[in-house]
Amino acid sequence: MGLGAYVAVSAALFGLGIVAIITRRNVLYILMGIEMILNAANINFVAFNRFGDNGLDGRMFAIFTIILAAAEAAVALAIVLNVFHLFSSVKPSEADLLRE
Amino acid sequence: MQAYLTQLGHIAPELVLTLVALVVLVMDLVWKGRDSKRIGYITLGGLAVTAWVLWNQWRTLGDTNGALAETAFGMVTVDRFGTFFKLFTVGSLAVVTGFVLADRRERKHGIGEYYFLLLGAAIGIFFMVSTNNLLLLMLGLELLSLASYSLAGFHKGDKRSAEAALKYVIFGGLSAGVMLYGISLLYGMTGTLDLNAMGRGGTQGYPVGLAAQFLISPVPVALAIVLVLAGFAYKVSVVPFHFWTPDVYEGAPTPVTTFLAVASKAAGFAVLLRFVGSLFLVDGVHEAVAAYGEKVGLLLAVLAAVTMTLGNLSALRQTSLKRMLAYSSIAHAGYVLMGLAAMTPEGFTASIFYLAAYYFMNLGAFGFLLYFEGVTGSEQVDSLKGMGWRHPVVAWSMVIFLVSLTGLPPTVGFYGKLLLFYEGIDAGLGWLVVVAALNSVVSLFYYFRVAKVMFLTEPEDAVRTTQPALAGFLAILGALTVVTGVVNERLRTWSDDGQASLGIPQDAARR
Repeated sequence: MGLGAYVAVSAALFGLGIVAIITRRNVLYILMGIEMILNAANINFVAFNRFGDNGLDGRMFAIFTIILAAAEAAVALAIVLNVFHLFSSVKPSEADLLRE
Repeated sequence: MQAYLTQLGHIAPELVLTLVALVVLVMDLVWKGRDSKRIGYITLGGLAVTAWVLWNQWRTLGDTNGALAETAFGMVTVDRFGTFFKLFTVGSLAVVTGFVLADRRERKHGIGEYYFLLLGAAIGIFFMVSTNNLLLLMLGLELLSLASYSLAGFHKGDKRSAEAALKYVIFGGLSAGVMLYGISLLYGMTGTLDLNAMGRGGTQGYPVGLAAQFLISPVPVALAIVLVLAGFAYKVSVVPFHFWTPDVYEGAPTPVTTFLAVASKAAGFAVLLRFVGSLFLVDGVHEAVAAYGEKVGLLLAVLAAVTMTLGNLSALRQTSLKRMLAYSSIAHAGYVLMGLAAMTPEGFTASIFYLAAYYFMNLGAFGFLLYFEGVTGSEQVDSLKGMGWRHPVVAWSMVIFLVSLTGLPPTVGFYGKLLLFYEGIDAGLGWLVVVAALNSVVSLFYYFRVAKVMFLTEPEDAVRTTQPALAGFLAILGALTVVTGVVNERLRTWSDDGQASLGIPQDAARR
């Protein structure tokens, strides 16, 4: 399988992530969309590293991205939990105190 | 071993700051969260030590043309550019810590992690402004972001704070993901994560660099650059990635808003300057480089014009001072972007100088907001009535900050804007300078509405309370704004030193 296949999968994953973020109203789906984008980048890093033959930079980046995604999910879920506690909802559209 | 210690010495400021953060965390646990003011004082002490280390580093770097020949551990680029922004970050963080201590609406106990999160964000800034490696840049950026999300939602029981954090984390997560995807594409096309190697080429198997890649396959390169720029645009709240700014700034606790609007935004600009400088301002790799850099410059110029116009027009109709300052900070992002759009070394110097000015005047303006929240318990401009007569020192300091934000003499904001306009015209961006000048006139209306309400309306009866320490500090900051405006030679030399250490070709004046 060539590099093109990997890049195609990652582009598809990226697109799906964006679609999820734009169309979904529930914040948990939005967070899942963000995870999909991060993983799309990960596929790119590993594939480019495998086919590019240039050290371990890409693989290192992929490992760090996994850690980043975990840390971000922890912080985001803590914030969502707090919002749910106060607004009894996990939909960003229902938390609308701050506006013009 | 000796070499290892030498390399460790290069990142001494980061190490000291990390140590301070850990001490703060442990001491908060030891004291079981009682009387958190003590934690604040430890933070201030630690910041003073960090500033001293940084100052020594700044002076040492003078012997080596502003930048170390090698990078520490192959990742951290120690140069005057980074140190310049680190010094200002430490300064503004000290001010923000002072604001937390002076915040009347803040609890007295159990807020030790406030300081820890602020220090964590600063460590992120330290690493992101002093690296050419996209991996370390991303890690620093995320460390800053994750700490900022938590800080925005720091008041757990406050609905507005929680909502601000939610909006911040969604937009932030999205933009970080988009930026990461862009970086992965850049890595795929150049085979390196180092910005200098990326711009100049020369990596094994990829001898041509990004500019030549652009000639071969323009669409993927343009896409990757736009995706990465989108991530930066979010961080510095440039239109069209500014939606989160007013809401987050309004909902977050005021000291946090100060941090986000000043330190975090300036750090984002520092990284953007380094990114644009290394990728698009390189010595003649190829004839095509010039044309390609100019396209990016034009994109930045259009973004600058839209950002300042939208920021200023939106600020006009705000009734809340906090929200007005949020839109004003968007407008200022547009002004700073002008210097970048010029794509000349002098333009970069002007941007760096304006960012330094931005630290002074916005710290002051947000300090005023904090003072006045403590007095009236409100954020509305209308409740400022008669403040000028009741609290003359603070009110007059605010007038100075407003004059500087508008860009009128004799303040530092005026001189910064003058430099930006001059370099803009020099780079052939006359239309952008006209837009910026018109915008400054528009901004006069909403800035001076604040002054008008303070001085030209009769005071309503209210409880008279004062915070002498905060008032005195604002007066000092106001004096500094004027002094650095009149005697600006030193600051301009420093900005120029910072720019020179970026390693961009000094004769890049094109057009």
